[in-house]
Amino acid sequence: MARVKKYKQRKTLMIVMLAPYLLLLLFLGVVPLIMAFFEIPAKSLTNPNGGFDAFWIVLHDFRFATAAKHVGGFMLIFVPLMIVFVIGMALMLDVNNSKWKKYLRLAYIIPASVSGAVAVLMWYVILEPTLSPFKMVLRFFGIKEATQIWQTQNLVYILAIMAFFAMAGNWILIQYGSLQSISTEIVEAARVDGCTGLQLALRIKLPLIKKYVIYMGVLVFAGGLQIFVEPQLLTTSVYNGIANAWSFDQLSYSLAFTTGDFGGASALSIMLLVPSLIGALLVIFKTDMFDEAKTPGKKLQGEG
Amino acid sequence: MRQHLKRKYSLIAAAAALVIGGTMVSPIAAQAAKPSILIWVDAPRLPGAQLYAKIMAPTVNVKVELHAQGDLLAKVQLFNRIKKGWPDVVFGPPNDVAVLNNPLINDAMALDSLLPASTWKAFGNGNNWCKGADGKTYCIKNDLAQTVLWYNTALFKQFGYTVPTKMSELFAIGADLAKNHPGYSLGALGDQAANSSYFWPSQCPLNAAKSSTRVVINSHDPHCTRVTKALQPLIDAKVYDPRSPFDAGFIKDVGQAGKLVANIGPSWYGDFVLRPASSYAVKAGEWTAAPMPIWDGEKVNYSGEYGGGIYTVSPHSKFPKEAVAFAMFMVGDKRNLVTVTNPDGSHGAPTFPAYGPGNKLWAAKVNADTFWASSPYPAMAAQANKVFPGEKPVRYDTNGAWGAAFSPALAKDGNLQGALDAYATYISNLAQQLGYEVSKS
Repeated sequence: MARVKKYKQRKTLMIVMLAPYLLLLLFLGVVPLIMAFFEIPAKSLTNPNGGFDAFWIVLHDFRFATAAKHVGGFMLIFVPLMIVFVIGMALMLDVNNSKWKKYLRLAYIIPASVSGAVAVLMWYVILEPTLSPFKMVLRFFGIKEATQIWQTQNLVYILAIMAFFAMAGNWILIQYGSLQSISTEIVEAARVDGCTGLQLALRIKLPLIKKYVIYMGVLVFAGGLQIFVEPQLLTTSVYNGIANAWSFDQLSYSLAFTTGDFGGASALSIMLLVPSLIGALLVIFKTDMFDEAKTPGKKLQGEG
Repeated sequence: MRQHLKRKYSLIAAAAALVIGGTMVSPIAAQAAKPSILIWVDAPRLPGAQLYAKIMAPTVNVKVELHAQGDLLAKVQLFNRIKKGWPDVVFGPPNDVAVLNNPLINDAMALDSLLPASTWKAFGNGNNWCKGADGKTYCIKNDLAQTVLWYNTALFKQFGYTVPTKMSELFAIGADLAKNHPGYSLGALGDQAANSSYFWPSQCPLNAAKSSTRVVINSHDPHCTRVTKALQPLIDAKVYDPRSPFDAGFIKDVGQAGKLVANIGPSWYGDFVLRPASSYAVKAGEWTAAPMPIWDGEKVNYSGEYGGGIYTVSPHSKFPKEAVAFAMFMVGDKRNLVTVTNPDGSHGAPTFPAYGPGNKLWAAKVNADTFWASSPYPAMAAQANKVFPGEKPVRYDTNGAWGAAFSPALAKDGNLQGALDAYATYISNLAQQLGYEVSKS
């Protein structure tokens, strides 16, 4: 009896703790999703007869293929760059045992504080030959006018660099944190067995934090797919039109706010949800990310 | 269990309170005896609108809201859905009239019966833009953004040029600059500047709507190719700049460096681009405007337009007469056109009023300005009724497309015809998407 009571108390407590999240999820996640779904068949200038043709119309929008090309190119650069660089840096930070470590950690986090609008402004100034503090470097490469850099086809690279600098620092620290959870006993055992630093990093540590790497990969992928702020700011306030409907999210925004086609915008948004949802499901069901809290080291210990 | 239920109910109650609270925020519409109107304007129109609200306070409740022009269509569609919230009168970009005057959106009413014929007549050609295919008038034009030839009298004198009256004479000046005065410029062509200054005055059919379902778009029409053929060698010779006139580099390298010799630009170009210290900062006493040069073989020296806002009135307005009265105050009353104080300390309306009688009031203000070598007003007035009427309001975003398709293509390789073709392809796609039949003639 007492046990049942205790169980009920725990359950109530759980609901109370979950409630704020659930409410937000409901009002800012589930409800908008349902509303978006029912919005799709609405009549609009582009879909005058209404109906679920909206999906077909969006897929055949003349800007859809270019947006796919842009976002695809951006992700091909951004995602691998992030994963390789972040894991590499985190592993190196974990090896280094000097007193400089805390300053290094600080150094990683600083670029991450420059994101969104501020990052756009900063990179605009850096890459605008008349304003740049690195004029000499730009001149060395023969770049004297902004038009040599700020072109639509170069945005894949520029935006990948922007996003990389804005996000890498945070992730290095997170992955460093995940490396910290590896039991020192394992590391020492490996050392005793004659493991070199490189072997330790790639053969022992990396497999142990694998699920965190996958987790990061999924989040970076979902974030990249939904790139919006940077190109939108560039195209509306820096170089008019340089990134018009450059990404999927921008196309969706443009459908909703310049064409007034809420149905098409909703259809595109729901299409964009699918890959991110698949990614999230992969993390939940195909990795042990959300199993009972066991640190990798401890788990191995238990098995050993 | 009871405790659990209690908590559950309190949660529901809290959620319900939230929902109800949300709906309570919207005011209950009270049918007052006094008419009340809601006005949406952009920042430059705000001082005039606020003054109007003050003047009308005893007889009409005027509520003025500053709004972002870009999201008007989205907001109107939401209003259409909840069947309330429409502003009575909106200031917006010229294309809004076609966007709003669409059966699906239905937020621009015919204004013909709301003003006497004499008032409409006083607009001259100034309000032709607002005439729909059915002959009715769906908006009131606030200002004209007709292009004129802005030029630097000091440099003209120094280089021995006379003011060109033909386009070929202007291009001859360009060729001479390339040869004898390298570094000097006739302006920048990126974004819609190329259109308002060259393609539109040359009658190039780009957004030539023939009805609400058919538009002619043909970048290879001779009226277009004569522009690209004449300008291309001058772009290659760096006399015309492929950047935007608002590009930071162009402002610094050309505008502020005093390298601009002449520049076809809209009537507002002087006060908004040439003069401000943060822009080209041209010297006092050097610049003025001349009428548009004429294309060889033509009878009329047409202008294009770069902007030129409009007022639309919602058919849902309960007080359309009061709404139109506001628009007429803005385009015809001395208190807005000449005396109202703007945030930057200047006075009066910032742009060329489209309404004849209002325009006369405004002229005195420009003529009294000693900044210019001579008053640019006569040139503006000469072009006021000469905006080529072939370009029409259309439902798609023509101006955004100059930025989206034309500018990036021009920046890429400086090929003007290629950039114009890119623009034509882009707007053809947009037009078809919105139900237009696109043809080449």
